[in-house]
This record gives sequence, C-alpha cells and structure tokens, in this order.
Amino acid sequence: MNLSDHLPAFLVMIPLLGAFLTPLAASFGKTVRSVFFVLFMSLILLTGISICASTFGGNILVYVMGAENFSLTLPSGMSYPVRILFEIDAAGALMILCVAIAAFAGALFSVAYMDRFSGWKRFMALYFLLSAGALGMCATGDLFNFFVFVEVSSIASFGLVAFWRDKPEAIEAGFKYMLVSQIAAMLLLIAIGTLYGKYNAVNMGALSSMMRYGTLERIVLAILISVLAFKCGAFPIHTWMPDAYAETPSGVTCLLVTVSQASFYGLIRVCFSLFPGIAGGGMVAWILIVLGCMSMFFGVLMAVVQHEIKRLMGYHSISQVGYMLLAMGVGLLALGNGEKMAEYGLTAMKGGLFHVMNYSFYKALLFLCAGALYYATGTRDLDKMGGLARNMPWTAGMFVIAASAISGLPPFNGFMSKWMIYESSFAVHPILPAVAMITSVLTLASFAKVFQAAFLGPAKADFVAVREVPAFMLAGMAVLTVMTLLLTLFPGWFTGNLFEKAAEALLNQRGYIDAVLGGM
Amino acid sequence: MTDSIVRTLDSVGNASYFVVALLAVMALFAVVTQKNMIKICISIAILGSSVNLFLVLLGYRHGGEIPIYFLKGAAETMVLPTPQCLTLTAIVIALATTALMLSLIILLHKHYGTLDIDEIRRLRG
Amino acid sequence: MWTQLDSGFGYWNVFVWLLFFVALSCFAVWIRSLGRTDYKRNTDQDEIYWSGNEVPDDGAEISVPASSSYWGFRVAMEPLYALLNRFHSGSASDYAGYFIVTTALAGLLILLGGE
Repeated sequence: MNLSDHLPAFLVMIPLLGAFLTPLAASFGKTVRSVFFVLFMSLILLTGISICASTFGGNILVYVMGAENFSLTLPSGMSYPVRILFEIDAAGALMILCVAIAAFAGALFSVAYMDRFSGWKRFMALYFLLSAGALGMCATGDLFNFFVFVEVSSIASFGLVAFWRDKPEAIEAGFKYMLVSQIAAMLLLIAIGTLYGKYNAVNMGALSSMMRYGTLERIVLAILISVLAFKCGAFPIHTWMPDAYAETPSGVTCLLVTVSQASFYGLIRVCFSLFPGIAGGGMVAWILIVLGCMSMFFGVLMAVVQHEIKRLMGYHSISQVGYMLLAMGVGLLALGNGEKMAEYGLTAMKGGLFHVMNYSFYKALLFLCAGALYYATGTRDLDKMGGLARNMPWTAGMFVIAASAISGLPPFNGFMSKWMIYESSFAVHPILPAVAMITSVLTLASFAKVFQAAFLGPAKADFVAVREVPAFMLAGMAVLTVMTLLLTLFPGWFTGNLFEKAAEALLNQRGYIDAVLGGM
Repeated sequence: MTDSIVRTLDSVGNASYFVVALLAVMALFAVVTQKNMIKICISIAILGSSVNLFLVLLGYRHGGEIPIYFLKGAAETMVLPTPQCLTLTAIVIALATTALMLSLIILLHKHYGTLDIDEIRRLRG
Repeated sequence: MWTQLDSGFGYWNVFVWLLFFVALSCFAVWIRSLGRTDYKRNTDQDEIYWSGNEVPDDGAEISVPASSSYWGFRVAMEPLYALLNRFHSGSASDYAGYFIVTTALAGLLILLGGE
C-alpha cells in the first residue's frame, strides 16, 4: 500500500481520530494532552503540505471512499459516480494549506491560552471537528458531502463560539450565529436536493457535465451563492461575524477565519466549476462585485468606530472578504471571454486567491495578538489598555507586521494582493478600485488606532505587572508571522506555483469533470 | 391500504411538493415574526422536516418497493435509495442542531431571564 | 523570479522597494545630521513643545482613549452611522430576515438578469 495515495482520506481521518481519542488523551494530564494536540495538528499540517505538493504539476487527486480501489470512480460500468469521492485540484489544495497552517498555529497558541480554563476535552474535540469540517469542505467533490462538512464545521463552531458558557455574550453570539446558520443550511439542502431531483447525481463533476442552464438552475445558484456568502460574511448577511469572532477563544477565531475561507472556496467552486454558464460574464458576477464593494466599505466603516479589539477585527474580516468577492466577481465577469480573461480576469483571480492566503495568515495572526493582549491584561476594551509595547515587545512586533500587512502597506504581502486587485478591477470600472483604496485607508486608520491605544502611550498603573505571554502562544503567532514574511519576500514563487495554478484549475472546468468521469 | 395511498399520491401529482413549499415558507415566516425563542426553534425544526420530506419525495417512484434486495426480493421498480440516505443524514444533523439550540436557549434564559429574542441584544452596533 | 510579481500592467519587486527604502532612510538621516547640535542642554530649549502648555510629569492619565479617536470622522458621518447602527440591531430575527431577503433578491436578480 502506498501511503501517499491515501492522503485525501488521511486529511479527514486524522482530525476525526483526534476528536475521538481526545477524552482518552486528556485524562492523562496536561503534558500528554498538549503533546497529543500538537502532534495531531502537525500530522494534519504535514498531510496538507503533501497534498499541496502532489497537486503541483496540475494533478487532480481523486479519492473514492469505500470502493475496492481508491481510484475507481465509475464502478461496474456506471456512467456516473455513486460513491462519495474527494477531488482536490490546485485551488482546493491551496485552501487546505491555508486551513492546515492556521489550525496548527491556533493549536500551538491554545495549548498555553486555554491552560487557565477547564473543559479541555470539549475544547480539543470541537477543535478537531472544526478542522475536519473545514478540510473536508475544501477536499470534497460531492455536493451532499459538502453539506455534511459544512454542518460538521458549523456545529463545532457553535459549540466553540459559546464555549465560555458563563459569559452571556458568548451564548448570545452562538445562538444568533446558529439561528441564521441553520436556515442557511436547510436552504442549502433544498438546493442540493433540487439538483439531485433533476439530474440524479450529487457529484460535482458529474453534475457539471450534465448541467443545462434553466430557471431551476438559476434559483439553485442564487440559493447557493446566498448561503455561502453568508458563511463567508458578505455585507447584508455578515452580522454573525463580529459577534462570533469577538466571543470565541482566540485560538479558535484563528481557525474560524479559515473556515470562512473554506466557504468562500465553496462559493467560487460552485460559480466556476458547477455553473460557469450562468455565473460567467453577467449578473452573478455583478452580484459578487456589488456584495464585495458593500462588504469592504461598510465593514471597515463599522470597524473604525469600535473600541473592543476583537469586535473591531471581526468587522475587518468582513471588509477583507469584500476584496476577495470583488476579485472573484471580476474574474467571473471575464469568464468565457478569452481576451478579457487574459487582459484582467486572470490577474484578478490570482490577486483574489493571493488575498485568500494573505488574509488567512495575517488575520489569524491579528486575532492571536488580540488573544495575547486579553491573556495578559484580562480585558478586550481598548479604552482600558495602554503602553503595553514595553511589557510585550514580541506581541507588539508581530502585531505591527500583521497590521501593516492588512492595511496594505508596502512591502508587505497585503499590499501586493490588493495591488493586483486594484489593477485588474480598474479595467472593469474605475470606481471599484476607488472603493477598495478608501477601504484600505480606513483599515490603516483603524489599525493605527489599535496600535496607539494598546501598545503606545504612557504605562497604565493596572498593567505594570503585565509580562510577555508564554512561549507556546508566541510560537503559534510566530508560525503565522513567518508565513506572512515568506509571502512578502517571495511573492513571485507563491504566485507562480500556487495562485496561478489554482486560478487555472478553477478555470479548467473540463479537467475537473474529466478527473471524475475519465474523459468520457 | 398501501394501494389506496399510492392511488391518492398519484392523483395529487406534484401537489406534495406544494406541501413542502408551504411548510418551508411557513417556517421561514415564523422564524422572522415569532419572538419566543422556543417557537423559533420549532420553526427551524419544521423547516428541517420540510426539507426531509422534500428529499424523500424526490426518491418516490410510482408503485416502488423498498430498495433492499434481501428483504423484498426482485422487484420491478424500487424507490431511490440515495435520497433516503441523504434524509437519514439530514435527520441526524437536524437532531444535533435542535438539541444544541435548545440547550443554548436554556443557557440564555439562565443569563438573561427572558425568552424574548428582542431582549437578547447586548451585542449590537 | 521568486521575488517579482507581474500584474500584466506593471511589476512589483520587494527588493527594489527595500533598496529605495534604505536609500531614502540614508537621505533622511543625512538631513537630520544637518540639524544644529549647539543647543543649550537643560534649559528651555530642551523642553518638549506641547502646544504651548505645561508638560505634565505623569502622562498616564492624559492619554487619548480609543473610543475618542476619529471623533471628528464619526460626528461628520453621524447620519450614516445612525443608519448602520440601526441595521446592526442585535435582534436575531432581523438577521434571519436579512438573510431571507438577500436570498430572495439574489434569486430575483439572477432570474431576471440572465441573457
């Protein structure tokens, strides 16, 4: 048996196994459970990196669950796959890499961060399930299976948002997220059922090859877009995001950021691989662009006036998702038109995927910094903080890197992805980059405020005894800092090997279908 | 008995989908208009049931038998097994979320002393 | 080509930027070195200029709290913020309503907007 053939199965198997072993491991004391937690997370990271490496040459990994042979997509002469299968192309592998790295960093951070609190078993089990859900969403090639992974990650995240159940706000945030999320999940199931009723298949490749673009498909697409835009936090339906991000333990917020990116991946997968005929070139592209611009602008507008650090960052998440929606909308607008695609569409998509990766790292890092501040000072209110750069130099330094990156200051990676989005969206309409730049300015303004309020200024009497956070927390933050700096220093390598390949994989609908149906 | 049900179902045709749509719209309406959290939770459960009904209906075939070979033997037509699997999965998920939602409501009632959803709004702005 | 990025309209290279940054920093340091070094220490020339006010000894109590920054911006945008705060009402049934309305709108637009 060749181990590397079964990588896609390991991707979901390891976190699920981790979740079920958690009660056992957690009963052996602090050291064992920490080692167990970090070990399993590094295994996931290793699997993610290997998967990413094996999709480098434009390969599409296909893995059939429960068949005699893992590559048997069409058993006994069937013309459509009946089993659940995983299909990972370069775009999926990119997202898996983001999720795996953020999950690893969040786990390292949580080892020290959650040490003060009880409920370790629940925390670790839910954390594993959340990573399993997010990784599964990026890996699956089956719509119903996608729904199952969405629900796995959602239920785990409801539990984690409401983790501190003695805090009323945490329960409130969990309930609000859950309510709308359940409606969304049910609508998602209706959409998938409708597609099944019409085409007798739930496999994305098979559906994509049979798709005829009629009224029913349009309604299904609208539901899918709305549900997945809700999950990744687009403007009119973003309201769960600041609540949930603010109330979750910080190590988990770091993972939740990438879970929302997994939903974003679902959104672009649906648009580019399932419904390119409806989504390309017209109304759907404009819906994404308008959603993106609204998310960017209103998200950052709300962020500027917040004074609660994690809530402020939660609103920034909305505005960052806006950039990606804008980029992908511009990419969709050029879809099906080779000339436009070469002129600006591909750049927009590369920029958007670049931004996905940047965002997963610097945003996760910012949430970890906020968590470190909360750990050290016991408050999340910026009004009460001040002068902490002297006590916490490492946290301050990493915060500066992450804040400069998210504000798009050169030479950091955030600048480059934003620059690619500006240049490509300018070709569509000049007002789009204008909105994006205003957003960037306001982002800088609000992070300048956070830095000034938390780290600068005279030392406050309450925080004289504050010390730098434990080494494990710093290690978690350092992982993400290193990734941010790598993206900053070698953008050419990452763009050429990851983002460009991922954009091409998204555009290659034929390849996505043929990997399952075997070029019929 | 079974035959009469089959005949009835045939005579109504697509009307059963209409029932699904009605249930779903009722549930969505109730989620937005009801203020009591328990009632909202019930609406979500109704929405889930309407979706499950929809999935089962998709697999219905006229005069079909259960799709289990060793129980029923060879049959001319079988109802589709896939939607039933989907429904089972969806029911399990709905069970988990309903239980979790009710437990969150209990905690909310403990903290806020009310079940009115409009009074539970410390997180805003 | 590890460090260079092409957008089709132009290119970006981190190390070119860093080179410029270092060059400009040297320039700034050079300008600073032109300043006078013959000022009188421990006199009023040494004092911090604080809008003509006395500089307090202990600054801990006079820092600007975070919720006061960008006060002018917030006041100027007051009507917009009133609207946005009404939108983020905190009521979960409102949020469910937004979701349903957005879905309906998206469906309507996609149905009507098709070619």
